[in-house]
Amino acid sequence: MGYLPCGIYHEYYKQDHAWWQTRFVYVKMVLLVLVLILFPYLVSPMWLSVAYTISYYILACMGVQLLIGYCGQITLGHAAFVAVGAYTSAMMVLFIPWPKLIVDWGLAYPISMIAAGIAAGMWSVLFGLPSARVKGFYLIMTTMAAQWITVPFIITQYVSRIGGRGHYFSLPPGTVKLGPWVIDSDVKVYYLSAALVVLLTLVMANLLRSKVGRAWIAIRDNDIAAETLGVNIVWYKLVAFFVAGFFAGIAGSFYVTALYFVSPEHYEWFFSLMWVGVILIGGVGSLHGTIFGSMFVVLVFKFLEMTIIPMTDMFPWFAMKLIYIKESAFGLAVVLFLLYEPNGLSYRYWQLKNYFNLWPFSY
Amino acid sequence: MDLFLQLFTTGIMLGSIYALVALGWTLIYKCSGVLNLAMGELTLIGAYVCLTLYRWLNPHMALNLAFIMAILFTLVIGAILGLLTEHAFLRKMIGEPVLSVIMVTVGLSFFFKGTIFIIWNPDTQIFTPRIFPLKPLLIGNVVIGQVYLWSFIAAIILLVVFVSFFKYTRWGLSMQATADDEMAALSLGVSAKFVYALAWAIAFMAAGVGGTLLGNINGLNYSVGLLGLLVLPAVVLGGLNSVPGAIAGGLIIGVLQNLTGGYLDRFFPGGVKEVAPFAIMVIFLLFKPYGIWGWERIERV
Repeated sequence: MGYLPCGIYHEYYKQDHAWWQTRFVYVKMVLLVLVLILFPYLVSPMWLSVAYTISYYILACMGVQLLIGYCGQITLGHAAFVAVGAYTSAMMVLFIPWPKLIVDWGLAYPISMIAAGIAAGMWSVLFGLPSARVKGFYLIMTTMAAQWITVPFIITQYVSRIGGRGHYFSLPPGTVKLGPWVIDSDVKVYYLSAALVVLLTLVMANLLRSKVGRAWIAIRDNDIAAETLGVNIVWYKLVAFFVAGFFAGIAGSFYVTALYFVSPEHYEWFFSLMWVGVILIGGVGSLHGTIFGSMFVVLVFKFLEMTIIPMTDMFPWFAMKLIYIKESAFGLAVVLFLLYEPNGLSYRYWQLKNYFNLWPFSY
Repeated sequence: MDLFLQLFTTGIMLGSIYALVALGWTLIYKCSGVLNLAMGELTLIGAYVCLTLYRWLNPHMALNLAFIMAILFTLVIGAILGLLTEHAFLRKMIGEPVLSVIMVTVGLSFFFKGTIFIIWNPDTQIFTPRIFPLKPLLIGNVVIGQVYLWSFIAAIILLVVFVSFFKYTRWGLSMQATADDEMAALSLGVSAKFVYALAWAIAFMAAGVGGTLLGNINGLNYSVGLLGLLVLPAVVLGGLNSVPGAIAGGLIIGVLQNLTGGYLDRFFPGGVKEVAPFAIMVIFLLFKPYGIWGWERIERV
């Protein structure tokens, strides 16, 4: 929350947490939605894929942000839960003999998306169980174990082999159907992603200002104090793991539509670490941070690609080393952010907002 | 029984390498409280530096001498890199929240990994010409590859050197003092900055040698870095702040890894060997949340 404009005072807790506080917020949000709707008409198609990659990162990082930024449970295995979601939904769409009615109405994909969320949430709770006893570094190790057990072992060695199609499941065109729309072009994927991001951000923001959210924040700030105040910390930690896993599952099942296939290499440990890096760059403990961080990381990768790929004609060496250059740059960015801007981009945004709120009489 | 003995001895020998790397990890944690997730990349750096030096020195001198020289130079370079890393990145993070410090090491691990593979070719490379003869030794019914045996000996020598350094020298004692009580050590004139730098230098050195040995066993590629990550279950098993615990944890992980690989691979084909340490660790943590020799932390609000 920034400073309020002149002459408006809050008297109740409810007002503090209201969404539509001023008319300016209305205008801003309406403009935002308009921009989201018109985006495909404003830019070249190349940016659509960037946009839905950003959405995917936002969806995936939302769970990480919830666990790390709001509940204080550090997780380094989120890609595992995203993978569970992706595989669950892909396999449900492919292998379940859906009744004709459901296929006609385009319900198969939405149903499997929700099922994917629940499956990923359960999987996440399973690895969140140790959080009842351990915390800090030991918890990091259990989430890391989730990553190593799920992706390189269970998924790569067993799940990917179901059906004998080689290493990945591909979704034939036309199978991903949402109501009357068949998701088959970048524009449609983009709209799906934008709708999901808006919806899930609303859900998350609402959760965070409810009783559950307050309990999470209490656990983050001091778990022992929270327990003495009557917060059932084990229960709320597990709820946090479930919700984070659910979001991860939705993210995973969304990304399946964007790629038209699933393969274990999209869920390696690298991504788990990267998503934590994303929220650190964006700002821990802030939903804005999730969004800014995702945009920053995806756009920086994109710009790196755009500068390096034209050079590959002259220096083929760059083409081979592109992923390593990306990785190196990302690592350096995380380290530099932590050293010089530990509050992340969302803090800068907050400062900027307040500057304009108080402008021109800033004191 | 023969199979068991076979797996057990190989496990101990592999485990000694993990123990060496785990020792470096624990030193950093004990002295400066940094939970270092870049350990895998530290092993990679050491291994690649050593490989390059070895190839470079090899034409000029005898095989064994070249390898020993390469390892010595790797130690020196590792120490320098450790000092640099500590000075440039970690020193500024003293007193920051745990997550930030951990993520700095994660960022460093990305940075190191990227840079390593920008400089070196990511394909598997082997130490050629071979340093250790391929012919295995036969002790009783147990077959031991010479690579394993020599790695074991090298790891044990270095473990003894590092532990005695830690126990008997002035610098080692100042490290112990800092680990025990930083305030008291500071007031008695121990330079904490120096101790932190020293811990990182030792960690780089230990990891470098560990990586070289691992690279000699299976060839050198990114998976050596993943093996370096296995020290994390090792230190967790042993308890984070215990040097004997780290060594024991390394050995236990080595043995368990080999045993599960040998016995369970039939039932769960695939990569049981890589996953088993993590699975064991999770189950273990549920029952003993502070490891075998770790300090139980009592918290106050």
